[in-house]
Amino acid sequence: MKYLSFFLTLVLTCALGILVSLPFGQVPPLAPLLDPNHGFWQNSFSEDQLAEETLSLEQLSAPVEVVYDEQLIPHIYAQNELDLYRAQGYITAKHRLWQMEFQTLAAGGRVSEIVGPIALELDRMTRRKGLGYGAEQGIAYLKEKDPATLALVEAYSDGVNQYINQLSDARLPVEYKLLNYRPEPWSAYKSLLLLKYMSDMLVGDRDLEYSNLKKILGNAKLAKLFPEFPKENDPVIEKERVWDFTAVSVSKPDSLSYPEETLQLDPLAQPAEGAGSNNWAVSGKKTKNGHPILANDPHLGLNLPSLWYSMQLTTPTHTVKGATLPGALGVISGFNENIAWGVTNATKDTRDWYKITFQDASRKAYKYGEEWKSSTFRIEEIKVKGEETFLDTVVYTHYGPVVYDQSFKADRQDINFAMRWIVHQGTSNEQKTFMLLNKAKNHADYTEALKEYAAPAQNFVFASKTGDIAMRIQGKFPLKWKEQGKFFMDGADPRMEWQGYIPFEHNANTLNPERGFVSSANQHPTDSTYPYYVFDNSYEHYRNRRLNRKLAELNQITLEDMQALQFDSYNLQAAESLPVLINLLGSHAEGSAAAQKYLTEMKAWDFFADPAKPGQTLYSIWFAETTESVWRELMDQGAPVLRPNNYQTIELLSMSPSDSIFDVHMAEGTQTAQYHVQVGFDSLLVAMKKWEETEGTYAWADYKKTTIQHLVPNFKAFSVANVYTGGGSGILNATSGRNGASWRMVVELGPTIKAVGIYPGGQSGNPGSKFYDNFIPIWAKGAYVDFSLKKKEDQKGILFKTTLN
Amino acid sequence: MKFLIFTLLCALLVVFLNIVAPYWVVMIAVTGLAAAIRPSALGGFIGGGLGMGLAWLGQTVYIATFTSSSLPDKMGALMGLGTGTTLMLLTAVLGFLLGGCSGLLGVLGRNLLQKKPSNVYLG
Repeated sequence: MKYLSFFLTLVLTCALGILVSLPFGQVPPLAPLLDPNHGFWQNSFSEDQLAEETLSLEQLSAPVEVVYDEQLIPHIYAQNELDLYRAQGYITAKHRLWQMEFQTLAAGGRVSEIVGPIALELDRMTRRKGLGYGAEQGIAYLKEKDPATLALVEAYSDGVNQYINQLSDARLPVEYKLLNYRPEPWSAYKSLLLLKYMSDMLVGDRDLEYSNLKKILGNAKLAKLFPEFPKENDPVIEKERVWDFTAVSVSKPDSLSYPEETLQLDPLAQPAEGAGSNNWAVSGKKTKNGHPILANDPHLGLNLPSLWYSMQLTTPTHTVKGATLPGALGVISGFNENIAWGVTNATKDTRDWYKITFQDASRKAYKYGEEWKSSTFRIEEIKVKGEETFLDTVVYTHYGPVVYDQSFKADRQDINFAMRWIVHQGTSNEQKTFMLLNKAKNHADYTEALKEYAAPAQNFVFASKTGDIAMRIQGKFPLKWKEQGKFFMDGADPRMEWQGYIPFEHNANTLNPERGFVSSANQHPTDSTYPYYVFDNSYEHYRNRRLNRKLAELNQITLEDMQALQFDSYNLQAAESLPVLINLLGSHAEGSAAAQKYLTEMKAWDFFADPAKPGQTLYSIWFAETTESVWRELMDQGAPVLRPNNYQTIELLSMSPSDSIFDVHMAEGTQTAQYHVQVGFDSLLVAMKKWEETEGTYAWADYKKTTIQHLVPNFKAFSVANVYTGGGSGILNATSGRNGASWRMVVELGPTIKAVGIYPGGQSGNPGSKFYDNFIPIWAKGAYVDFSLKKKEDQKGILFKTTLN
Repeated sequence: MKFLIFTLLCALLVVFLNIVAPYWVVMIAVTGLAAAIRPSALGGFIGGGLGMGLAWLGQTVYIATFTSSSLPDKMGALMGLGTGTTLMLLTAVLGFLLGGCSGLLGVLGRNLLQKKPSNVYLG
């Protein structure tokens, strides 16, 4: 009997012990998760509660001091750059390990390893775009051409790995515990992959949609609805700029043939609409203290843990502070003791598609002029959680990878497209650019640093203590004849090749312009006098004009004025279009009390998209419904196309309300703009009735529901929803529902540098820490935290100190 | 008395050993402790259960109070279990089951090894 009871208990105890160590479906193993000493409970501690005076970091040449300020911003003091970047890797991993690894898993097309077959299509697409291939080329380039930079990237990587090796179960980020996996070693490749991933996030192309539009609309109508320049072009580089160089000539083929088919493919995922950025610098002659002031606010998807991580990095020769990108070296947007710089996306179509004609089904050769060129094959091994490894064969041509083919996403089996993208070439060194900018002392250093930079193209704003302000649109831009790359091209025709690149010296730039400021807001880079063909579908038409008008009118500018401008919520699009809409509406709304109420609220609105304003909500719905009505027939073509942008739509509504473009073929009679405005208003009434019944208040913040979402969208409890803040797409404070200012920084370059900054998140990547989201309320009301440079001996405002040795 | 001593020692063992060892090592240690102290079978189960369950509960209460973190509530919401308090109770129940089974196993194992005295007249 006692044997039986013993063995029964043994079996029961072992079974229980094993059972609670196993995952069930999406539920992670219970005992490791709930164990108070190793499970999620340990992630309840904030960093200051776990402060350690010393930590072990091997291979340092001298001890490194890390001083955290009250916001948990680390200030790293090292004796040389190798130590500095080793420590940066270690400290970043300490606070953001899960995020940096997860982002590179996404960039490498490896999400299926963690979440299973649900992500397989996403991973195949990521790999077929060749991000991993590009990063491999980048490493090979560094090995051959710049081993010094590679050594620093490897030091950073070693710092991350030393932290991973020291990591206890207790300190393991909670996301690993929930998703039931462990961190793997970091590598220099991953740092480069991350920068390639940024290119993917920020670069779009609409070749597919434009190819279809060209077939559907014809050239004349395409040019009318999608003009290359808006009527009121307010470009990045001031119009007065004289291009004092002789442009490299580009020969356009006599006759052009484009692939004939109307294409039914799914377009690639594009950068989120409303994603964009502002940056500017004002010269000392316009500021109260006589010193230049620089401001930067990149707009991206609002996520937690935040994309950015603030740091100060100090060696005996330089001190730099600002926003870093966890996984990459140095500061990406920031300032040092001499200069400040910032970035916005320089949207330009630098990704083109070529139709490939294979010789036969083996796809070993493809037509190129009169010959057959050999292709190569790259086998992508995609590990899938709970399933067998998926092998995906991707064909590479000299243009680049064939993204769509017989096995992937193509409805038509005879269609193969190769993607040509600068990211696939390993001949750039973006990492070095940022490390040089971190140390730059003047405009010459800044220009030199940017020579290494290819993608993603950025508008680099600059200001220096010596009084210079500058802007340079930097990227590696292909030389193109007019409209080259706007549509799909025939890869069998060698005349369709890019004919080289715009020389670095010819990239649009300006230094100390007469108007006393430089600025960019993702608009057209230049006016039409710039001697190279530049095209993109997504240029901004409102933020730029608002920004430049304000900068032109402001004088005696202070740091606070620039902060207020970053938070400016004036909706220029509404100011220009609402009167047009109201005029076209006529007496349509008469007789309905609700209609009159909404109309009155809109008429009383001052065009500021503040959180409490209902006018912004009403306008945004009305305008969206109106454009929906105007372009419904165009969009309903059974193939992916684009609608004309808001600026062009408003231009047509106001200047040509009787244009045939407004006529609806499916409806009787002849329709004008008025018809669509009225349809839009009726839709507004329906939408508002539903909204008021289900949600109640329709103040702007309540309607747009700004949400800062955890990188795993299912982890809703780790997100911050319904943030009470204003702004919106096309507004300087570009905070919409899911996008917005991901980092705000303002720097005054006087004898003592004054700087403030903020981002919608917190320094900690741990959802249990008080530093996880503590910046959000400050960010939401347009306030900032102090970002002044700290000297090692400064004792004020210190949270704790750690020595690495 | 043995029950109380076992419960107390078991709780202390969990508190200190669990810092460096995972739960399954703690289970083995509780089994060993029960075998060494040898309370009754019921005492082994209840004592082991209370020792580990209360130690875990105490630690979660301490962590939640000391840190004032919102994480327990966030985890409760994420796991569809309501608040952090539910997770505290769940942790305690899990600790009780793991500790209880381990305690019982220790007692039964020790009983197995205990030779029946052969020189005693049993009637």
